[in-house]
Amino acid sequence: MLQVRPYARGVSRLLGVAAVLASASLLLATSAPAHFDTAGRFTHVACPGSPATRSDPVNVVFHHWGTWGRAESQLVAHTGWAAASGTTQHFLDHGGCFPQHTQRASGEGSRFHVRIRGQHWDGGLGWAAAAAAHHEDLVLFPFPCGHAVDANGAEGSGFDQGRDELEARFRDAGHETSRVWWGNTQSIRQCDGDYAASDGWTLLVRLHQVNH
Amino acid sequence: MRVVGLLGLVASVAVLVVGSPTGPGGDRSLEEARSFEEFPLYFAGDEVDGLSLAAVLRRDEGADYVSFVYGECSPTSDSGCAPPAEVQVWPADMRYAGSYDASAGAPSVELTRIRGRPAAFVGDGMQLELYTEESTIVVFADTRQRLLTIATALRCLGRDHDGPREERLGCRR
Repeated sequence: MLQVRPYARGVSRLLGVAAVLASASLLLATSAPAHFDTAGRFTHVACPGSPATRSDPVNVVFHHWGTWGRAESQLVAHTGWAAASGTTQHFLDHGGCFPQHTQRASGEGSRFHVRIRGQHWDGGLGWAAAAAAHHEDLVLFPFPCGHAVDANGAEGSGFDQGRDELEARFRDAGHETSRVWWGNTQSIRQCDGDYAASDGWTLLVRLHQVNH
Repeated sequence: MRVVGLLGLVASVAVLVVGSPTGPGGDRSLEEARSFEEFPLYFAGDEVDGLSLAAVLRRDEGADYVSFVYGECSPTSDSGCAPPAEVQVWPADMRYAGSYDASAGAPSVELTRIRGRPAAFVGDGMQLELYTEESTIVVFADTRQRLLTIATALRCLGRDHDGPREERLGCRR
């Protein structure tokens, strides 16, 4: 018959408590970030991301079946934006900073352009991807500077135009869309010297499980 | 001589394109902002925390605010940049604490009080909003310390003279 000595029982208890604590910490570590992180509402030109590296406002969220691959596939299906050129920007998620997964554009000159990154699964939104959409001009005069997001104007800024275009395309294709106030209206200076800003409204687009 | 003339012409065009070196850029002058009457305006002076007033902007399509941009940044092709600080002033009925709801996908809001007014840090905490009766003041900055420095420096932008800095924020048209 196995006899357990007093000190051995104590060790067992300690091991048991340690195991419970380890399990609890594992559960906490995996469940705490189970939401779509809206702390970083801008893309960043480099990592680690900080307010000094902000570039474009995040103004579209693909949700429910919003993995980045589905977002890209369904976006190309509904917009025809097949070009994939553009610089890499970065997205924040639960304290980390990560490069975009993909980007799509309507051409190479003046164009619509959107950068996409799959983000953390969310209890309310399901699989979700954050996106930064805009319309940009190819600026060659008075000095060639490349792509610059349209300044604020009668049709909204280039950021608003990009979001509005995606809203119309996805809504016309039967996707459920809505808007949520994010307030990320900070002015972003462009290479032509103008400033552009989001109007603060972010578009939510519900995606299908099955791609087109 | 011709070369000098050409350089002068290029310099003149550059000034016209980039803007006058003697005042802030943007689509409004500070004087125009002083005569603005739609809602009370607040700004942080000609300079705050070592940053000069770089631009005054008015947006009244889709959004409704007057913006005071402080400091410079360096955009590149395909990637804009965020200036070190900005003060946006919105009419209070267009933007207020209740604009942020608790639905899925909405940003987090940390409520507080600053200079006698309800206020909120939004998202990553680098955006501060102060709510007065007629205006909502939105401050963006690259550090939390700078946000608070700017909040401390806010004053009324007046038609005849800029108001003195008073502890409790409250400007009138």
